[in-house]
Amino acid sequence: MFSAALMKQTIRENSVLWLILAAVQCLMVSTIGLTTPLAAAGIAYYNMLPGIFVGIYAITIGNRLICAKVDRGTLAYVLSTPVSRRAVVATQALFFAGSLALMCTLAATVHCVAASFSSYGASSAEVQTIIKLNLGLLALALAFSGICFAASCVFNLSKHAIGLGGGVICAFLLAPLIAMFGQNFTFLRYLTIVTLYDVPGIMASATGWAWRLAGLAGVALATYAAGALAFTRKDLPL
Amino acid sequence: MNRQSGAGAGGARAAGARAAGAAQAGAGGAEAAASAVIEVDRLTKDYGHGRGVFGVSFQIAKGEVFGFVGPNGAGKTTTIRHLMGFSAPQAGRASILGLDCWKHPSQILRRVGYLPGEIALPEGLTGTQFIRFMQGLRGSRDQDRLNGLLDRFQLDPRGKTKRMSLGDKRKLAVVAAFMADPDVLLLDEPTSGLDPIMQERFIEFMRQERLRGKTILLSSHMFSEVQAVCDRIAIIKDGEIVSTVRTTDIRRSELKTYQVTFGTLAGFQSFLTSFGRAVIFADQDEKRIDVRIRDNEVNHLIRRLANCQVASFKERKASLEDYFLGFYQTAPREGGNGPHH
Repeated sequence: MFSAALMKQTIRENSVLWLILAAVQCLMVSTIGLTTPLAAAGIAYYNMLPGIFVGIYAITIGNRLICAKVDRGTLAYVLSTPVSRRAVVATQALFFAGSLALMCTLAATVHCVAASFSSYGASSAEVQTIIKLNLGLLALALAFSGICFAASCVFNLSKHAIGLGGGVICAFLLAPLIAMFGQNFTFLRYLTIVTLYDVPGIMASATGWAWRLAGLAGVALATYAAGALAFTRKDLPL
Repeated sequence: MNRQSGAGAGGARAAGARAAGAAQAGAGGAEAAASAVIEVDRLTKDYGHGRGVFGVSFQIAKGEVFGFVGPNGAGKTTTIRHLMGFSAPQAGRASILGLDCWKHPSQILRRVGYLPGEIALPEGLTGTQFIRFMQGLRGSRDQDRLNGLLDRFQLDPRGKTKRMSLGDKRKLAVVAAFMADPDVLLLDEPTSGLDPIMQERFIEFMRQERLRGKTILLSSHMFSEVQAVCDRIAIIKDGEIVSTVRTTDIRRSELKTYQVTFGTLAGFQSFLTSFGRAVIFADQDEKRIDVRIRDNEVNHLIRRLANCQVASFKERKASLEDYFLGFYQTAPREGGNGPHH
């Protein structure tokens, strides 16, 4: 089902970008955690920045995992071995989702540790909120990565995969910003999955946040599955 | 069939290999489809604009080396793509070892080595890392065979693949294709990019692999290499196989080509009108005529030439190249449909 050799190679190819983005996030959450109470910093930070970080990761890595290998022709070597297409797509998807889970877990841990060392300290309720915020971030990241993964599986040219995956994610990230510009644009909030990552709701311990995250997870599941199906069935120009 | 011994330099060179493989070759080929290792049956894939393959069929028996020759864009790589299970046929099927290539590629690929036509190695790896990677994917690590291959092709895989010359990249791909010692080999233009010494070494290697019972599909542009190793050759053009021949048949052909140059234009024209039916090439400026005739017509030709002011007269050695060039050109030459049948 999975190929260990391919996983090793995939980790080797993509570790640099992961390390950079994870380091930047850790740096930010540790600074915020040490200096600012969660109530003040939570919405400001989680509402925008981590979404952009995981968006960048999803667009870049998503393309690299499948489409770039088809475009460049290097996948021919992998598929000239007994490793099946299903194993290839499962391995790459596992890496994608797993690396995002690791990134969010790391950021959540660093944020909790930093907050507990701060002069304000961190109550267990605050730790829970941080974990929920990062769980939500992970759900959003998985949905983003699913969209990019599906694009990567469907298209044979990197420019198309990046164009569609990147375009959709940029639109999703920009829509809430434009919606802030006035009454006429508030409808945009309902056209983007970013709304399902309800940072103010989680901060206020409002109910229903878990359902919204389930919605994001559903998007992730559907897009990963669609991508895998498309990849195992399509003609490869190798 | 008119069997002659000592069919020329190429034949003598390959005689050992051929004798050992004769039993298999005789039993194999198109007649023994049931035992075919590679079978392509009315394979059709239309990419539009006249590109693709249209009803391509051939069988390759165990231990046979099958040449696949044709101009760029004729459908060689498309056919191989289907054998690798990268593409689904629109009609017909491709199978290896009795298994459908589209439905069971990973089972088939346990026993197949593949050399892609375009060498696009994964980025950021050294040659050694690439070899380890391929061994990992295949789940086999035969260090002795690997060392033997590296030795044979004089490849030092330690450098970054990105910095390797085209020839070294090609050698690396060759080593990767052969290192697991597969039974079936699909080679897409394997020697392009290799220097002449390495080409010769690769041809020799393919002969040895053939003697070890390997089944090889060799797509190529190089007539010399195809002639040296292949038992049978298919010519593909515009997505259709236009001819399939045994290499030995071409060498043993009773048809021969003679190139005559005339001293005078009158001689040139006189011969052209009287012997026109066998002329396959005529150039008035050079006063040169090529005729293709059967062996038993040679005396007739010489008698006719006696009165035509001949400046030079020579036999052109029958080679695959002559045979194929006719197929490469867009419009076939007059009477140039191949040296036999």
